[in-house]
Amino acid sequence: MSSEALKKRKAKVLRNEAGPTEVKRGRGDGDQQCAEVEQKRLQSCNHFMTLKKLNRLAHMRLKRGRDQTHEAKQKVDVLHLQLQNLLYEVLHLQKEISKCLEFKSKHEEIDLVSEEEFYKDAPQEISRPQLTKNDPHQLTLARLDWELEQRKRLAETYKESQASKEKIQKSIEIKKEHLRSLQPGLNAIMQASLPVQEYLAVPVEQTQKHTEIAQHLPPPLYVLFVQANAYGQACDKKLTVSISGDVDEAKAMSKPPEDSQDDDSDSDAEEEQEKTKRRRSTAGGQLDDKRREMLKRHPLSLSFDLTCKDGSVLSLYFYYLINLNIMTVKAKISASTDLTTAISAGYLVKSETLLSCLYSNDHGTETPNPANRYQFDKVGIGSFADYVEELGHPYKWVQNLGGLNFPSDTSEVRGVLVGSSLSASHMENTMKLLRGRVMSRLALHKQFASLEHNIIPVTSECLYLFPAKILSRLTQWTTITQEEYMNLTFTRHVTDAGLAKETDMYFSGVVERGTARLQAAVVLNPRYPEISPLFSLSLNWKGERSGHTDDNLRAMESEVNVFKNELQGPRPGYQLLTNQISRLCVCLDVYLETEEQDDGVEGPREFPREKMCLRTVKGPNRLKPFKYNHPLGLFSHR
Amino acid sequence: MGPVELLHMSVFSQSFSPCGRFLAAGNNYGEIAIFSLCAALSPDTSEAGRKPVLTFSAHDGPVFCLESFGGHLLSAGDGSVSAWNWAELIKKNVKAVWTRRPEYKASMEIPEINAMVINPRDNSVVFGGGDNNVHILDLEHGVFKSVFRGHTDYVHCLSVREREGEVLSGSEDGAVRIWDTRTSQCVHCVEVHKYQKCARPQFGKWISCLTTDSDWMLCGGGPSLSLWHLRSLTPTSVFALSGCQRRATFYQDMILAVGQGPTVSHCLLGGQVKAQIPCTPNNINSLELNTNSAEHQVLTVAGSSQFVDVFTNVSYRAFSLCF
Repeated sequence: MSSEALKKRKAKVLRNEAGPTEVKRGRGDGDQQCAEVEQKRLQSCNHFMTLKKLNRLAHMRLKRGRDQTHEAKQKVDVLHLQLQNLLYEVLHLQKEISKCLEFKSKHEEIDLVSEEEFYKDAPQEISRPQLTKNDPHQLTLARLDWELEQRKRLAETYKESQASKEKIQKSIEIKKEHLRSLQPGLNAIMQASLPVQEYLAVPVEQTQKHTEIAQHLPPPLYVLFVQANAYGQACDKKLTVSISGDVDEAKAMSKPPEDSQDDDSDSDAEEEQEKTKRRRSTAGGQLDDKRREMLKRHPLSLSFDLTCKDGSVLSLYFYYLINLNIMTVKAKISASTDLTTAISAGYLVKSETLLSCLYSNDHGTETPNPANRYQFDKVGIGSFADYVEELGHPYKWVQNLGGLNFPSDTSEVRGVLVGSSLSASHMENTMKLLRGRVMSRLALHKQFASLEHNIIPVTSECLYLFPAKILSRLTQWTTITQEEYMNLTFTRHVTDAGLAKETDMYFSGVVERGTARLQAAVVLNPRYPEISPLFSLSLNWKGERSGHTDDNLRAMESEVNVFKNELQGPRPGYQLLTNQISRLCVCLDVYLETEEQDDGVEGPREFPREKMCLRTVKGPNRLKPFKYNHPLGLFSHR
Repeated sequence: MGPVELLHMSVFSQSFSPCGRFLAAGNNYGEIAIFSLCAALSPDTSEAGRKPVLTFSAHDGPVFCLESFGGHLLSAGDGSVSAWNWAELIKKNVKAVWTRRPEYKASMEIPEINAMVINPRDNSVVFGGGDNNVHILDLEHGVFKSVFRGHTDYVHCLSVREREGEVLSGSEDGAVRIWDTRTSQCVHCVEVHKYQKCARPQFGKWISCLTTDSDWMLCGGGPSLSLWHLRSLTPTSVFALSGCQRRATFYQDMILAVGQGPTVSHCLLGGQVKAQIPCTPNNINSLELNTNSAEHQVLTVAGSSQFVDVFTNVSYRAFSLCF
């Protein structure tokens, strides 16, 4: 094509060339020129032909080269492909290998017994030591076999034990049924045996009931109950303990702590409070409620009955105040004799003051629990003393008996016991003191009855302390209040020394002989006769004298107050007061009889000398002989 | 000593230690208490400083007299006299150095010793007591060398007239006897109650208070307290004090007298009662002046109370020591 195009162009060009050239040289040289042109044309045609040939050769060469390249490329591709395949395969195999290596067979999770045990325990067929010792694979297989064997055996034993357990369970059920059916029968027997118990005085039923109720007692009362029972059984047959009060209320009391955790009941309570708030708008009413709530007593209480030697019974009622965590007591005496005869003695057996100061300084008017102070401040209670009459006295010994130990203000270092050991350590002593207190009060009561009739009751064991003839007489014996006592002029020194306290009882006695009148003011400590009564004297005879002004009256006071150990009388010492009064009469006799005769005054002596004295005056302050020596009947000086 | 015993305590005698820093006081229970004056007088003292540093039981009966002589404290009361070493007592070592008893006639009661004075001239101690006699104990030899008999009732008080070497004794029988120590004879006998000026029959005739300073003598008791001139044996002034006096002493140019009544009376030699200073005890048995120490010059007064009043200035009571 191109050659054809070339040809055509050549032809054109030739024509064109031929044309112009023809034109130029037209006519003349035309022939020569035509030969040259023919030559040139032939030359050009040859050139064209070679050109084409060359072109063709070039093309063919190109083609051949391309084909060769293509072939080589094909070969290389094939090889490349093969390489790829192989590499892929290698990779695949590697992965497989690693997978195989990582493979953990389940058998490795099983805890097999150790090899030694295996060889020991397994029977020969399974362990096959010859094979397995060399070949670990076989060894493992053998061990797995053994494991399987063992498990099969154990599964069997398990089935067997299950079966036996079922059997036993069934038999237990049967027996339980049997026992349950016994219970009503036993109850019937208990009921039937009650009359027999009473007849034989073996209160088994009662103690059981008590123990059951005792479960509902608050802890301090429980401790007291247990200790008192134990003490009563062991040492003191005359102590009886019983529980009184509302058991149901007590049971109800122990429930509420669970309910209060519910939100519902809280909101209910709030609603109720609001309602009551609306009803009573006064803060005072609310405060009253809070106070009452704070001072609430536990519904159960203990009552003790202490029987004394002469048949009188001291009844003690113990209460527990829940919110304040203290115990209180109320006391009552039921005497074997009539207690209404002595007027001045009413104070002695009054239940409020009966147990005052059983131990020294234990007044029982304030609560011993220091925490109560804060509680009281919240509800505006000034002092517990106002509620003592209603709630009972919170004596310290009562807290000790209940096992409650409160730290006291004074830093006494006592052994810190709590609970039942504290109660037990105090029980015996307290019971003794209580008995002693009752007996001394009753004895005093009897003595007062006779003192009011101006008879000094001196028992026969104490007659030796006094001479046979005593001329001074007791003419009056009355109670006075503490204020009256403190207003007397001759008692100032006792009050100043702090020996006249609120808890003490005060009496005034008058001894007379002739024109002489001796007034004695007596301070009686509740712990009589451990602490002796204190006498202060004032004599009205030819002028007023008292222990302050007259050394002899002071000596008489000390004769009665200080040298009182001889006057205690037989063991319990309840005769102390009457003996002191007798001694006072004797001393007045001596005083009056040994008074010097004033030479300036005429007339006989008012009081003739009847007592025998060795010397009527002795010492720098010229004291009279007040000491009576028993068998000789003489008076001498101390 | 419970509170009741303290309430009924009477102090009968006092004596200062030779160094003047301690006071010994004897009470009716037979105890002697040693008080430290330094502790009591120091400005920052507390309650404890006014309490005894040592209390011990010396006799069975009341301790009626205490005297300090030669480093020893002599105490007498229930018929015997004991001596205690002051240095040992200050160290709280209680042990009597010696105890003596005058010879008494056998009787039912052992007579008490009411009065004791030291006679420094011949190193002896003079006792007067319940057996109506005056006994002299020689300190060097420790024996009773003489007895003066003559009184008809027990001897209340004694005094020594140093210059003449005479002993004066006042007794319950109303007589003041003057004895010569060398001849053991009664040189004079004055019955005070026979003199109209002094006699007070409503009280009685006994003489419980006697003191001399060689020319003059003060005596009193049942009769009024009176000042006598010894050479003429006549009463020159009589003091109008209401109670019966138990102790009197010359102090500077005054007379201090104590006895019944809770006061220390200051009287002038002419007979006027200048002042009456109130004290704690209701009746006073003993009055002592501390002359042994310059810095603790105090007057102490004790009687029917457990308190011993201390006067740093004789015009008023400063504080009280308490048994």
